[in-house]
Amino acid sequence: MTLEELALKTVAAAESAGVDFMLVGSLAGVAYGVSSASPRVNLLVAEKVAGGLGMMTKALDPFVQFEPQVPSAPLTVGRRHVGTSRSTPAYMIELFELFDDGFVQEEFRRRRQVFVPMLGRSTWLPTAEDVIVQKLRWGRNKDLDDARDVLAVQGPESLDMGYIRDWCAQHGTTEHLEAALAGIPPL
Amino acid sequence: MPNIHDDPAALKALQDAIYRDKILRARRMTVEQRLTEVFEQSNSQFGMMHAGAMHRLGTRDEAAGWREVRRWLERLDRVREHGLYVAEKPPGK
Repeated sequence: MTLEELALKTVAAAESAGVDFMLVGSLAGVAYGVSSASPRVNLLVAEKVAGGLGMMTKALDPFVQFEPQVPSAPLTVGRRHVGTSRSTPAYMIELFELFDDGFVQEEFRRRRQVFVPMLGRSTWLPTAEDVIVQKLRWGRNKDLDDARDVLAVQGPESLDMGYIRDWCAQHGTTEHLEAALAGIPPL
Repeated sequence: MPNIHDDPAALKALQDAIYRDKILRARRMTVEQRLTEVFEQSNSQFGMMHAGAMHRLGTRDEAAGWREVRRWLERLDRVREHGLYVAEKPPGK
């Protein structure tokens, strides 16, 4: 199974189970930044009907083995369902449940629909501004590089920097933002 | 011929030029094109990892190669996600 086949099955499973979603993680970063290979499909998900997430993982069960344990991230306190494709290569799926966090709720509310030709269908993505804020918040080396790449590709002049700065101030990540901006050479 | 590694300013200029090319290329693409490219890149990168794993193992057994790729990725995940996730919510969260 290819990564796009897995993404397609995941999106279809979410829609048929009544689960709202958007792509997050590497794929969301790539949409607005620089292309780089990723072995995983990450979704932020929200049930429209109770039990929807269970229906979604059940629909994916022939292709994906989900771990029984559901770890959460202390940083953001979101429940996380991790699965691995049953076929080779072993791509990963991560489903992060929407949770009570001001930024994550806002990011999800602002998501936008994008048609992806390779998938032959539309999917949902965060805005470029929200990708930057979230990457700076996670703050791992790769996240900081991704945030800088999105800032560089989109250009601060075309981004709502006020929105980005407000959230960074709330998250205490203004220093990360300034470092990312300073890391962009003259283009 | 001077060694660029002995000249930090020249090395930085080269790194910036490489980064600039990457950014300008990405700017010429649409969101849809970038997403298409990541799927293509991911598939081909897995093919290269598979070849590398089989070479490292000294085998022509493709299944063994895929198992090794999986082991590599699991190791990478453990490094990248070290300390990031817990099995239970912290108290008070």
